Amino acid sequence: MNPYWKKTFFSFCALFFQRLWLLMSGELSFAELAPDEIQVFVLVFLSISSALVGSFLVLRKMAMLANSLSHTILVGIALSYLIFGSLLDTKALLVASLVSGLLTVLLTHFFTHALRLQAEASVGLVFTSLFALGVLLVTLFTRNVHLGVEAVMGNVDGLEFGDLKLAFGLFLLSSVSLALFFKEFTVSAFDPELASLLGLFPGVCNLLLLLLASVTAVGAFRAVGVLLFLALLVGPVLAARLLTHKLKTLVVIAALLGSLCSFVAVALSRHILSAYGTALSTSGLITVVIGICFAFCLLASRFKLARAEGLLIKKI
Amino acid sequence: MSLWSFFTDPVLRAPTIACMLMGLSSSLIGVLVFLQRRSLLGEALAHAAYPGVALSGLCLAFLASQSESLFSLAVLGGALVTVFLALALIHFLEKKLSIKADSALCFTLSLFFGLGVLLASRLQMSHPLWYKQIQLFLYGQAATMTDAHVFFYGILTLLIVALLLLFFRPISLIHFDQGLAQLSGLNAKWLNGLLLFLLGLSLVVGMRSVGLVLISSLLVAPASGARQLSAHLSTFFWVAGFFGMTSGFLGNYLAVEIPLWLHLPRLSLPTGPMIALSATFLCLAALLLAPQRGYLIRELRLLAFKVRCRQENLMKQFYKAAGPLPLSLSWNLWRMRRKKWIFRTEEGSFELTKEGEKIAAKIVRLHRLWEVYLVHMGQGSEKVHRSAEEMEHILTPEVEKELGELLKHPRRDPHQQIIPR
Repeated sequence: MNPYWKKTFFSFCALFFQRLWLLMSGELSFAELAPDEIQVFVLVFLSISSALVGSFLVLRKMAMLANSLSHTILVGIALSYLIFGSLLDTKALLVASLVSGLLTVLLTHFFTHALRLQAEASVGLVFTSLFALGVLLVTLFTRNVHLGVEAVMGNVDGLEFGDLKLAFGLFLLSSVSLALFFKEFTVSAFDPELASLLGLFPGVCNLLLLLLASVTAVGAFRAVGVLLFLALLVGPVLAARLLTHKLKTLVVIAALLGSLCSFVAVALSRHILSAYGTALSTSGLITVVIGICFAFCLLASRFKLARAEGLLIKKI
Repeated sequence: MSLWSFFTDPVLRAPTIACMLMGLSSSLIGVLVFLQRRSLLGEALAHAAYPGVALSGLCLAFLASQSESLFSLAVLGGALVTVFLALALIHFLEKKLSIKADSALCFTLSLFFGLGVLLASRLQMSHPLWYKQIQLFLYGQAATMTDAHVFFYGILTLLIVALLLLFFRPISLIHFDQGLAQLSGLNAKWLNGLLLFLLGLSLVVGMRSVGLVLISSLLVAPASGARQLSAHLSTFFWVAGFFGMTSGFLGNYLAVEIPLWLHLPRLSLPTGPMIALSATFLCLAALLLAPQRGYLIRELRLLAFKVRCRQENLMKQFYKAAGPLPLSLSWNLWRMRRKKWIFRTEEGSFELTKEGEKIAAKIVRLHRLWEVYLVHMGQGSEKVHRSAEEMEHILTPEVEKELGELLKHPRRDPHQQIIPR
């Protein structure tokens, strides 16, 4: 029996924090977690790791490469489904993400440098064709068109305890690697030439960042789908950009905003189900909540700007 | 099945022709987008069509309308509206908030797609049939298209082609010479608006057959391939249009024929991905094999040049070795054969023996070592060749050993050529 049955938005929040307290104090075991709680935890971990990776991707102007990674991951997923026969095997998923990530990066590089195609077009060409291949493989070998749709749209309600472990692993991986290489990533994001002078290998940093993005995408595809993962990756970062100009603050705010949006979306989805009896897609809701959050941040930044201008005028 | 039957068979005819028309219109627009270096804009806008499709499905579901043509029109209209909203958002993010293009595209894409997913999920439980209709537009389903669809999409394609023909001159002018275009009184803003309108229209046209997740491949691939084959703007358009139509046809043809070739009649290949893959295949073929700029052709030309250089260098050596005396070359060759440095093969050509190879490698080694030494001493790397040319004959094994130790046994000379061991 799900304890969140028929809860509205505010009683959801109240019950969630109550049960979180019980979980912390050890009175509630992890096996007793309700589906809604698993969703919240998975999404929060995912949004933190995507905000961490996303900040640097946005700074390096590589967001569209992340978009192409999120598409090509389907090939990896289809292949790992063929070889390992399951979608929950963490090892298979990691291999899939790394292989498809590397394949995308190398192919794009080959198209721009060896075949001398303009950068934009080679990004587009590589990911659309790999994605088409992925769709083909999925429909051919799994006879399960559903997988294709689910991989693109995500299915939060299908999350299990195993996903929580995967999401936590991703959270650890991205936060530890960013904490270790924060300086390297920062320097190569702002000044690749300085980075190579300092012997920091900006190319390796780029590759590492893209591989991290690829691993995060594969962790996210079951929950929110490969496309809406992009919203988690870019949305909170762009919203945080409106509020701050410091990199460290940016990363922290983006992670906070991302997790807040995920929590609100799960609560809202439960609220709508209880109050109106309609089941809405939580992944769709997250994106819309992120959009609204962006709009609020925009208003806040405009308000701040207007007040600063007003103060200036008063002084004069 | 014969090729022609794809145009006459009542079941195959409609999807084939519709896909070819779609390929034509999107590849023509793809050329313009390619020239503006905004190939990824199409990707973002295609995804932004999804909420429009979902919204019109939602409206019709609640109006309980059953009309097929009303559905087509509503979907088209809804998709166009959200595509333009997305365009406005991208413009706002880029121009007003100075967010970089890639982030703006990515954000808009995911935001609109998420909205679409949300709207579609509203239908999933209450109106599963409408939900299915909407999902068709994600991956497309050419096989279920009818003559009415062909008519509908044919008119839209004609509209796109006609507008392109009508505005061909101003469009080409604006792409190649902004200054001149302004001087001749063209309104760049207006033309750009027209271009974006055509882009939106072509995306919406392709949605039903290829699906909005894959339609951008038909914007990118034909244009990228055609670029390799054309030096003029008009040829660029022709070739791209040809590629687009061919991949539209090939996708349908292969989706029907491959299961027959493999004797697996129950295998059903999705047409949309097959079209996208055919387009990529054509593009790859052009990128590799184009007569002027193709990768393989370029590599072959480079190889031929290297072979020619080798031969000419050898000829030069023969010429020098011949020297002033008439029998000099044959005498030298005779001497080298006596010393067992070279031998004559059965076909009558000369080759180095094992011994000769060692000696030749040693001379090259001394030459390159000396060059490294001179650069080490501060000489410019372009000046060291002449001195090394003499020193390679003089250096003794002791000096060679010392040089090797001093320079820490370098692997390459200053011109990045490998030093033989």
